[in-house]
Amino acid sequence: MITLLFNILILLFAPFLMIGVIKKTKAFFAGRKGVSIFQPLWDFIRLMKKDFVISNTTSWVFKFAPIVGFATTIFAALFVPMAGGMSIINVPCAFIIFAYSLSLGKFFALLSAMDTGSSFEGMGAAREACFSTIVEPAFFIAMASVVALTGHFSFGNLRLILENAGVYGIMIIALLAVTLFIMLLIECCRVPVDDPTTHLELTMIHEVMILDNSGMDLGLITWASAIKMLLFQALIANLVIPASLVGWQAILAFVAVIFVLSIVVGIVESSMARFRMTHVFEFIFVMTLTALLILALVTYRVYGG
Amino acid sequence: MKIYFLSMILLLLGALLSIVVKDRAKFKVCSIFTFISTVMLWIPSLTVLLTGSPISKSIYMSPIFGDVSFVVDPLSAFFVLVISTMSFLGTVYANGYMKPYFEKGMNISSHCFFLMMLVMSMILVVTVQNALFFLIVWELMSLSSFFLVIFEGEKKEVLSAGIKYLVYMHLSVIFIIAAFVMLNIQADSLTFSDFANVLQTNEQFANIVFFLAFLGFGIKAGFVPFHNWLPDAHPAAPSHVSGIMSGVMIKTGIYGILRVITLMGTPSKYVAYTVFIVALVTAMYGILYALAQRDLKKLLAYSSIENIGIIGLGIGLGLIGLTYNQPLVAMLGFVGGILHILNHSIFKELMFFGAGSVYNKTHTRDMEVLGGLIKKMPNTATLFIIGAIAICGLPSFNGFVSEFLIYFGMLKGTIGGNTALFITLVLAIAGLAMVGTMAMLCFTKAVSITFLGQPREEGIYNKVEGDVAKCMWIPMAMLALFALVIGLMPQFFVALLLGPISMFVQAPCFMLPIAVINMMQILAVCFFILTVLIVVMFCVKLFARKKVEEHTTWGCGYNRGNSHVQYTGASYVSLFLSTLKPLFKRVTHIKKPKDLFPSEAHYEQDIEDIEEAYIVKPILKWDERFLSKFERIQSGNIQQYILYGLIFLVLAIIGMIYFG
Repeated sequence: MITLLFNILILLFAPFLMIGVIKKTKAFFAGRKGVSIFQPLWDFIRLMKKDFVISNTTSWVFKFAPIVGFATTIFAALFVPMAGGMSIINVPCAFIIFAYSLSLGKFFALLSAMDTGSSFEGMGAAREACFSTIVEPAFFIAMASVVALTGHFSFGNLRLILENAGVYGIMIIALLAVTLFIMLLIECCRVPVDDPTTHLELTMIHEVMILDNSGMDLGLITWASAIKMLLFQALIANLVIPASLVGWQAILAFVAVIFVLSIVVGIVESSMARFRMTHVFEFIFVMTLTALLILALVTYRVYGG
Repeated sequence: MKIYFLSMILLLLGALLSIVVKDRAKFKVCSIFTFISTVMLWIPSLTVLLTGSPISKSIYMSPIFGDVSFVVDPLSAFFVLVISTMSFLGTVYANGYMKPYFEKGMNISSHCFFLMMLVMSMILVVTVQNALFFLIVWELMSLSSFFLVIFEGEKKEVLSAGIKYLVYMHLSVIFIIAAFVMLNIQADSLTFSDFANVLQTNEQFANIVFFLAFLGFGIKAGFVPFHNWLPDAHPAAPSHVSGIMSGVMIKTGIYGILRVITLMGTPSKYVAYTVFIVALVTAMYGILYALAQRDLKKLLAYSSIENIGIIGLGIGLGLIGLTYNQPLVAMLGFVGGILHILNHSIFKELMFFGAGSVYNKTHTRDMEVLGGLIKKMPNTATLFIIGAIAICGLPSFNGFVSEFLIYFGMLKGTIGGNTALFITLVLAIAGLAMVGTMAMLCFTKAVSITFLGQPREEGIYNKVEGDVAKCMWIPMAMLALFALVIGLMPQFFVALLLGPISMFVQAPCFMLPIAVINMMQILAVCFFILTVLIVVMFCVKLFARKKVEEHTTWGCGYNRGNSHVQYTGASYVSLFLSTLKPLFKRVTHIKKPKDLFPSEAHYEQDIEDIEEAYIVKPILKWDERFLSKFERIQSGNIQQYILYGLIFLVLAIIGMIYFG
C-alpha cells in the first residue's frame, strides 16, 4: 500500500525533478552552473497561473487537446509498473492499452497543431506522426516477444524475463533496454531525434507543435510529456531491478534507476548533436532491428535448442 | 418468421411506392418503409441472437429451385441487424443529401427504387440458404448497387467507375457460381445444409471450394489484389450510397466467406494461413494508399479496404485457432472480426456521411482546397472527428474493442504454437500496430486538412453558408453515439456475438466465453476511468477561469503569411511516404517556366495504385489485343446473328444426340 502511494507521488512529481536532473547534467557538461533541479517545477507553477493567448484560427479542438493529452498520459501511467513492479491497474495486455491511449493523446496533439494553420506546426505534426508510425510496430514486436517468453500478459512480465530466458536472459534484457531507451528518445523528443532547447523552429518536432499553446495548456503539456518520459524510464527500471527487492528497497532502487537514466539522457544530449532529419529514420530502424533481434532470441529460446 | 417476410414485402412495397409519389416525398417514403421494416427485422434477429436458436421457413418454389429455405440463424441475425439499421440511417441521410438534386429537377425515381431493392436484396442474401436463389439475390444486389453508383451517369468518370464495378462484380459471381456448381454436383442438392456434409467429408474438395468462394466473395469484400473497384466506385456514388455500400454491402462478401466456413469442418492449414496473410496485406495496402489520397471519399474507400483487412485478420486468426485446436484463440479471432464488421459499418458510414455533407456544401471532394470548415460546419466537423477517433481504433470508442480482441487473440496464439505460427503472429501484431498508426496519420490528415486551419480557397469557403440540415447530421450523431456506446460497454455487444461465434467454435466449456466477457468488463472499467479523467480535467480547466486573449497564429516572427503557407495534405504525409517510395507509382506532369522572366509553371503529381498499374492494366491490354481478333464476328448485321443462332442450335442438337 505504501509502495502504491509512493508510486503515485513519484508519478506526479518526479517528472519535474527528472527534467531538472537532465538540465543539470547538460549544464555540467557545458561547464555551466545550471539552474536548480526544481526549476522545471517552478516554471510549471508559473505557467499554471498565467492566462491564455489563443490564436483566432483555432477551434475547440485546440482547447480540448491539452486536456486529452494530459488525461491519456495519466491513464496510460495507471498501467505501467512502477517501484516494486506494482501498477495501479493490473490487466492483461496492458501494453496495448498503454500504447493506444498514448496514441489518443497524440491524435489530439496532431490535430491541435494543424488547427492553428501554422506551417511550422504542421511540419512538427507531420514529423511526429511519421516517427510514431515506425516506432510503434517495433515496440509491439518487443512486447509480444516478452509475452511469448514469459507466458504472462500483464506489464509485470518485464520482471520475469530473467527466470524464463535462462542463458539468454541478460541479452534479451539488454536489447529490450536499448529498444525502450531509443523509444524514450523518440517519443519524448530528446536529442538526437529532436532538440527541445533549439531556437530554430524548422528543426523542432515536439516543441514546434505547441508553439501556440500558452498558460495552463502549455503547463499541462509539459507536465504530460515529462510524465511520459518517466513512464518509459519506469519500464526500463522494471527490467533492470531484480524482482526480489520489495518495500523500501524497491522504491529506493526505482528512484535510483530513474535518476541514473535521467543522467544518461543528459549525457547523450551533451555528447551528440541532433541527427539530420533523414538520418532520424535510420536511428528509428535501429530500434526495429533490436526488436527483431529480441524476437529471434525468444524464438530460439522457446522453440529452438 | 412471418415478421421477416412481412418486412421484405414492405421493402418491396416501399420501392414501388417511391416511384409513384412526388419528388420530395420519395425519400420520405423510403425512410419510413425502411424504418418500419428495420424495427420489424429487429424482433426476429434479436430473439435469435439472445436465444441462440435459429428460426427458419422453407418454401417450395418450383422444380428448378426445389425447397428454398429462409433461415435466420445467429450469424444471419447479426447481419440482418447491421444491414437494416445502417440502411435505415442511410435513407434518412439521403433526404437531405439528395435535396439539391431533386430541386434541380433530376429524376430520382429509379434511384429510390434501387435503393430499396438494394436493402431488400442484402437482407435476402444473408438469410437465404439455397444456392440458386442466393445467386439471384446476389445478382440483384450487385445490379441495384450498380444503378445507384451511376446516379450521376452523365459524368464520364462516374460511368466508367460504374462499369468497372459491374465487371468486377461479375468476375466475382463467376467464382461463386463455380464453387456452387461443384458443391451441387457433389451434394446433389442446392441447400446449404446439404453442402456441409460434402465439405466435411472431403478435405481436399473443401479446400478447392473454399478458395473459389474466397476469390468470389473476396472480390466483393475488396481483399487485395481484387480491391480495385472500391476506390473508383465509392467516390462516384452519392454519399449515402457509398455509406451503405462501404458500411454494409461489402460485408456481404465477408458474410459469404463466413458462411462457407460454418459449412466446413476443421479448416486446413493452407486455408487459415492464406486468409490470414491476404488479410494482413490488405490492411497494410489499404491504409498505405488511403494516406496518399487527396480525394476525401477515395481516402475513405481505401480505408474500407484496410478495415476489410482487419476483419479478415480476425477471421484468419479464428481459422488458425481452429486449425491448431486452440478454442480461445479461435474465439477471440472470430469475436474480433465479427465485432469489427459492426464497428466498421458504424464509423465508415459516419465518415462517408461527413464527407457527403462536405461535398453537399462545397461541391468538391478535393481536400487540398478545403480547410477551416469546422467554423462553418461545427456539427459535421465534430462528428467527423469522432468517426476518425473510432476508425483509428483509439480507446473508449468501438474500433479499439475489436482491434484489442484481435491483438489479444494473436498474443494468446503466440504461446504454445510452433515456430512458423509464432513468427507469423508476432509480425502480424506489428503489422496491425503499424496499420493503427498509419490510420492515425491518415485520419489526422483527413480531419485537419478538411476542417481545421484556415480555408485554402476563399471562394469555396465563402459559399458555405452554414451547417447541413438536421436530417443529415442527426443520423451521423446516432452513429457516433453507437460508436461511443459500443466502446464504453463492449461486454454487452460481445455477449450478443456469442451466438454467431458458437457457429464457428464449439467451446469445450463455459469458461471461454466468460473469460472473453470478463476481459471486456475490465476494458469497460478502464474506459470509464479514462472518460472520468478527461471530464475531470475538462472541469478543472473550466473552473480555472482564466482570461482568454485572441491573437493571430504565431508565425515565428513573420506576420504576412496567408492561408497558402499552411501545411497541405500532401506535405503532411510526404515525409512518411518518402520512406516507402517503391510502393507507389508516381505520375508527374511538369510544365517548367521557359524564359528568363517568371512565367506560368505547373507541377502535378498523381499516385497510381501499383496493383492497377502493373497487374490490371497489362492484363487488360493483352485482353484487348486478343479480343480485338474477334471483332469481325460482331458485325451488327441481323441476318448474321440469326445464322449464329442457327449454327449454335445445330451444334447443340448434334451434341445432344452424341453425348446425351
